[in-house]
Amino acid sequence: MGSRAEFSPQTLAVLAALCGQPSTWQHGYALARQTGLKSGTLYPILIRLADRGLVEACWEEEPVPGRPRRHLYRLTPDGLASAAAALAEAELAEAALAPAKVRPGATPRRGRGVAAPVVP
Amino acid sequence: MSWLGPAAATAGRGAVRLVPAARRDWAEAVWAEAHEVPPGWQRLAWRAGGLGLIAREGQMTRRIGILLLFAAAAGAAAWGAWPGSPVSHGAAVQGGIIITLALLAGLPLLTRWRLGPPDSRPARWLRAGIYAAILATIPAQAAIGLFAGAVPRSGIDRHVFDVVQGPGVPGSSSGGLDWGGEIAILILTACYVAVILALTARRTPVAPATLAIAVGAGLVLGVVMYAVAPLGLNVKYPYRPWLHGSAADAFGVLAWVLLFGAPLIAGAIAGRRCHVPDDPGQAGIARAWQGFAAGLVSGGVGALFVTVFGSGTVSLLVESAWVRDWLNHGQHLTSSAVYGRELYASQNVTAYFFLLVAFPFIGLMMGLIGSGVANVTGTLPDSSGPPGPPGGGGPEPVPAPPDGGRQADAGIAGVLTPVPDLGPAGRPEPGQGVLAGGTHAGSAPVPAHH
Repeated sequence: MGSRAEFSPQTLAVLAALCGQPSTWQHGYALARQTGLKSGTLYPILIRLADRGLVEACWEEEPVPGRPRRHLYRLTPDGLASAAAALAEAELAEAALAPAKVRPGATPRRGRGVAAPVVP
Repeated sequence: MSWLGPAAATAGRGAVRLVPAARRDWAEAVWAEAHEVPPGWQRLAWRAGGLGLIAREGQMTRRIGILLLFAAAAGAAAWGAWPGSPVSHGAAVQGGIIITLALLAGLPLLTRWRLGPPDSRPARWLRAGIYAAILATIPAQAAIGLFAGAVPRSGIDRHVFDVVQGPGVPGSSSGGLDWGGEIAILILTACYVAVILALTARRTPVAPATLAIAVGAGLVLGVVMYAVAPLGLNVKYPYRPWLHGSAADAFGVLAWVLLFGAPLIAGAIAGRRCHVPDDPGQAGIARAWQGFAAGLVSGGVGALFVTVFGSGTVSLLVESAWVRDWLNHGQHLTSSAVYGRELYASQNVTAYFFLLVAFPFIGLMMGLIGSGVANVTGTLPDSSGPPGPPGGGGPEPVPAPPDGGRQADAGIAGVLTPVPDLGPAGRPEPGQGVLAGGTHAGSAPVPAHH
């Protein structure tokens, strides 16, 4: 089961987007809009999550005239539990960091920062 | 701009074929989704991301790297061996070089199509080693052929040449490889490459451990054989600058023992390590297959090692004064005697051909005997699991990994490593950072409803 430390901020963002509507199949472009990730970043994340059994994928059953069938994604039960745990952990970490004032405009050092997940 | 979108779409649809079948859905998904993205730069950027995904999942970096490495090595080998004049012997050498390089480039495509790519590290290393060995012999062969065929103009060297090589026209080139010899070498090269490519392909039931064991045994055999006879089967002038007195005899005996013992032991170990089914008949077949492969590979690797280093040493002997002095150190020889020895050594290089034919046959027979021994003594408790023989009901076949074996290669517990290249607000910059490393080698199967 994945803990927050296992996930990159981008992965957490994808998990958060999928967590928003756990029972709904979502397509790639919607996830990209929610997370702000580009296709070259989003799809590798989805692939790795699917490899780990956290995300399931399928093709649209009914083709819509005028466009190809879309690939759809949602969290598996394992993925949902993992995502919930990781996002909760991220929130706690963010809360713990909150009192420590960060100078305006300061950029966290590479490898040290903790990203807040983008929860829709 | 108007033509960029359709061009990218067409390129992408074609490029999707480069991705392993198990990953192709994902690449197609990006392309299908592109229709939802607003046209213009946004859609183009989306498709560019898709091409990046294809490059990553199709292991394009590795493929391009291997291609460039092969091109560089092949170019260097051809440059080092290319004869100056395209007459008779020169034409045969030129033809040989071109056909050898064509074989090396073309046969992997054929085996990949029929048997799949290599899917383990030992398989890839074995292929790379065989390729390097074959490429290394090309300039060595050319240098030796040039030396052996060059007829001295006069003097005692001319007499020596006539004695060793037979009469030739002074100042001309003769006695080197002709088309017949070149064709025989090409056939042997093709056999070696084809067998190694087949044994290391994914759909061939040879375990990675079997390959590793066989290569180890073959290298031991090759090293000892080379130590005993660095200039091939040169019984008249046995150069052994590193072995003296009884050590040479002991190594000679060891070489004979290893010629039969190394593939025997490799076959036995490979057979014992083999993961076999409960049915004794099927278990025997599975072990025999591993023993056969181990023996064949160990014999072939041993022969190729001796050939590469032996012919390399002979080529250095005729090219380098330093090597010549080193090999003849402590002997007071006239220049014509040295020339005679070099000529004799150059002529003896043809013996490697028989070595290259005989060793694999000896190896496969001994490997089969070794697997028979393993069959009698049973399996090691911690056996690794190679796939079974085709149709033989052997070990349970290992399913193809979803990404064409990339995860297994990673060899690390995959992690979705944080790449916290964060923006000022602690949020990830859109598009920044990707997953680092691979994923869990033993991760759960994809539950997608594809």
